[in-house]
Amino acid sequence: MSLRRSLTARVTLLGGVALMCLWSFFPIYWMIVSSLRPERDLFAPPTLIPTSFDTGFKAYWTLLELTDYPLQFLNSVMVAGAVVVITLLVSVVIAYVVTRYRIPGKTIIVGSMLYAYMFPPMLLAIPLLSIFAGLGLADSLWSVIAAHCTLTIPLGVWLLWGFFKVMPLDLEEAAMVDGCTRAGAFFRVVLPLSLPGIVTVAIFAFLLSWTDYIFAFVLVSSDSQKTLPVGLASILGTFDARWGELMAGATLIALPLLVLFTFLSRYFIQGLAAGAMKG
Amino acid sequence: MAEQDSSKALIPPSATTDTFSRRRVITTAATGAALMALGAPAVHAQTKTIRFLNAEPSRESVRALRVAAAEYEKQTGVKVVVDTVPPDDAYSKLQASLSSGTPYDIGTLAFAGHMLILAEAGKLVPMTKLIEKSKWGPRILFPVKGEHYWYPYDYNFCWMYYRKDLYQQKGLKVPTTFEQMAENCKALTEGGKFGVGHPLGANSATQWMSIGYLWADGLKMLDDNFKLLIDNADMKPRMIRYLDFMKKLQPSMPPGMTQALFGTVLGQYSGGQIAHAPYAGRLMEVLEDRAPDLAGKTGFFMYPDSAGKAQAVNHASDGWVLLNTPMRDEAYKFMEWFTERHYINFLHSAPLHFQPPRLDVYEDARWRAHPLIEKHAELVEFMRGILSNKDVIIRSIDTEGPRIDLRPGKMFETFAISEAIQNRLLKDMPAAEAVDIMAKKYRAVL
Amino acid sequence: MPTEAAPMKRIRTFSDRALLLAFVAGVSTTLLLILVPVLDAVRLSLYQAESFISAQTWVGLANYTRILSAPTFWHAFGIGLLFAITTIAAQVVLGVLFALLLDQPFPGRPVVRGITVLPYLLPTVVVTVIFQWLLDGGLGLFTVWAEHIGQGRPAWFENPTSAMLILIVVSVWTWTPFVTVCFLAAMQTVPKSLYEAARVDGASAWMRFWHITIPMLAPMLTVTVLLRSIWMFNKFDVVWLLTKGGPLSATEHLPVLAYRRAFSQFDVGGGATVATLSFLVLTVLIAVYFHYFPLEEKEEKS
Repeated sequence: MSLRRSLTARVTLLGGVALMCLWSFFPIYWMIVSSLRPERDLFAPPTLIPTSFDTGFKAYWTLLELTDYPLQFLNSVMVAGAVVVITLLVSVVIAYVVTRYRIPGKTIIVGSMLYAYMFPPMLLAIPLLSIFAGLGLADSLWSVIAAHCTLTIPLGVWLLWGFFKVMPLDLEEAAMVDGCTRAGAFFRVVLPLSLPGIVTVAIFAFLLSWTDYIFAFVLVSSDSQKTLPVGLASILGTFDARWGELMAGATLIALPLLVLFTFLSRYFIQGLAAGAMKG
Repeated sequence: MAEQDSSKALIPPSATTDTFSRRRVITTAATGAALMALGAPAVHAQTKTIRFLNAEPSRESVRALRVAAAEYEKQTGVKVVVDTVPPDDAYSKLQASLSSGTPYDIGTLAFAGHMLILAEAGKLVPMTKLIEKSKWGPRILFPVKGEHYWYPYDYNFCWMYYRKDLYQQKGLKVPTTFEQMAENCKALTEGGKFGVGHPLGANSATQWMSIGYLWADGLKMLDDNFKLLIDNADMKPRMIRYLDFMKKLQPSMPPGMTQALFGTVLGQYSGGQIAHAPYAGRLMEVLEDRAPDLAGKTGFFMYPDSAGKAQAVNHASDGWVLLNTPMRDEAYKFMEWFTERHYINFLHSAPLHFQPPRLDVYEDARWRAHPLIEKHAELVEFMRGILSNKDVIIRSIDTEGPRIDLRPGKMFETFAISEAIQNRLLKDMPAAEAVDIMAKKYRAVL
Repeated sequence: MPTEAAPMKRIRTFSDRALLLAFVAGVSTTLLLILVPVLDAVRLSLYQAESFISAQTWVGLANYTRILSAPTFWHAFGIGLLFAITTIAAQVVLGVLFALLLDQPFPGRPVVRGITVLPYLLPTVVVTVIFQWLLDGGLGLFTVWAEHIGQGRPAWFENPTSAMLILIVVSVWTWTPFVTVCFLAAMQTVPKSLYEAARVDGASAWMRFWHITIPMLAPMLTVTVLLRSIWMFNKFDVVWLLTKGGPLSATEHLPVLAYRRAFSQFDVGGGATVATLSFLVLTVLIAVYFHYFPLEEKEEKS
């Protein structure tokens, strides 16, 4: 949908975009700026543009000393990566089958996946720990991965259902007439067309896994298995942390995501745009 | 640094360098799955391991525990794995570990009530013999049916700190009554600074830092049969006096105190925003760290009452519990060794905040040798005086009543007193009415 | 109108079977990991227990009568509905608006798309800490600004209305990008030719939006609103971290109530009861939702 390029339309558009950026970015800007202020300044009246910088990054060094940041970062990445892969595999299969085949009770099946979202996570985490302990996975990142998948797969199924549903069957039929198997039709026709959906699911799965605190907290007890939110939670809860350090801690948690996102945004944009190629 | 146990390694070391590659992740996942399928759970065949849940996340305390663990392992070959969590989460973590069948062997708790629940559920091992080796201060041991399941490592009394220099400037004297306290705070509220910072929210900070005045004024919440007293003829006037006093203090407090937590007040005092701050030893440690010039200008006194006759501190403490697990004998031996050899080291991780509950420590030259303890000898004497002076009232909501019981703990968790304070201060409700609401809430859980 | 999906295929070939096997495996594992804890939580509501490891006494439905007859439950229920409805409405409206903007060509669009998604990337604990800092009673930027425009120092969190408003604004700020991304992704699947044809026929931008975009994106909208509804009704962490249900329970909704009962007030059975009731409410609401916005067009039952 494109607006005509009249001046008012352009100005409205750019004005809207500017407001949108301000709305989205300002709190983040404030977080970063506050973490870089020298301590004294934080008690002086705040200015929008910082007048002085703490080039020593004191708040950051203090925090990094307190935690095992590199290890926890790695754990978070591994868990989130595995969650994305598993989620995509499982939810694509489930969503595809549900929209293409006659399955009795499919509404109930898919609907009951939502139950994971309808209970306080703490109440679910404790029985989950029992299950995993029974399987011998008590203190392992695999239990965290599995727990995260219970959060991401329902989302993946529901989102992809929306994509697969409006995809007309004739395209697949045509491919199969041309000699493809169903699986072939799937890979060659359906998948490329639903790339925006798949990319979306991948992103959400990654974020849900990365930002989870409760499951990672309950299911893991060794320091070597902790993920980033768990590791940094103790910082955000210490008694003598002041705003500068809190902001530094917040930035440290958010930073990997922001960096990762900068790298992957290209794929994200491409994925979104891929659907625009057709038609 | 925690070492990765190779038998539990999720991934081959080579895969860590290329974490963004999907193919690698899939291969990794497949390898991991294969390892799992081969049934490779942790097989520490010969090494015994004790799991210790620690709820003191400060750098120093974690280090103290790690040092102790390393030394113990060197001496006995038994590994002690320390898991550190934020103090508010320790109890849930302990419960989760118990209910899933993978319990910690030693735990840390901040409420004796939690210890009571675990003890009554049969999950704890008594440490009576360890306790009986030493002499202890008042109101710190909580025996359950004659056995001791709780090994405390600190008193966290809350008292009042104040700016001696500002007092001198204004010619003020240490207050001994509510009136004087209100006057002093009023005199020190000017130029964007405030007289005092009392948390007012429905949280533990308020119930630790803002109610000491009530105890000084002689309030008892429960009688020896756990019946509620606060709205009877003797106690209700005291509650009313207190609420009206807090209302008087309100203009001397910075805005936003309903959001204030422990650290807020520390920040406000060390930043020079407030002239009085309720806290325990940690305030002085923080001052030494961040505002050393203030440390020398800071004095202290206990909560005064309304009449000038009594003084009080608010009570809190932390302790360790021993859980009933297959490793309990090893864990007991570790506790025995630890409380003998490393107790003082651990206390030194917060030398002024972890006030020793064991009386022998005060005489121990090793404890006294810490620079902060030496420097603040006056404060240490003050703290010690709280224990030895029979006139000082030491109370807290969750330890009301003749013995440790869950009911005062439930009263604590209603935060009814925070509600009463907010009703009086924010909604300008008459104090008597606020007390009635509070009593109703308490009765509902008793 | 979009072409309807043709009738379902029958299970015939090998690849059909393989796909179905994978389907069954995936569904059963996921459901197992979800339903077992859920059933356990529901089971707990029939018992009275002081903690997760205390002895559990069977009380049948006594927890339910106790909880349902206390006004705290209904108050929390009302707060939850208020919070959910306002946040969802705002998120959807704002999210769609942002998606429309982001679909337009303008210089620097990829960067702007990235910026718009940033709030969603932040863990809730980070978001709440940032806003607590902005709203700090003495030093927060917003507090200072309010003072400058003569409002004095607002009692942000001490006033029930303002506490609720802050919660809503923070929730909208954080989770609108979800709607934006879903909507934007779905918009890419709409053939541009449809818009061109409509433009040629003289349709205005608004008409194009209302008659092409919305209908084509209906399934996506349905799913998005459904998911956001469930999530916002059950959002625990933002409320707990920002206000803990305060001031004086003014922002206490069902998840906070359940948590406090189970983990602070030594009433695990009560907490599980509140959670189960909340779950039942949601199930009913979802059923109603599906009645008006069905998943599938009605198929003949064979």
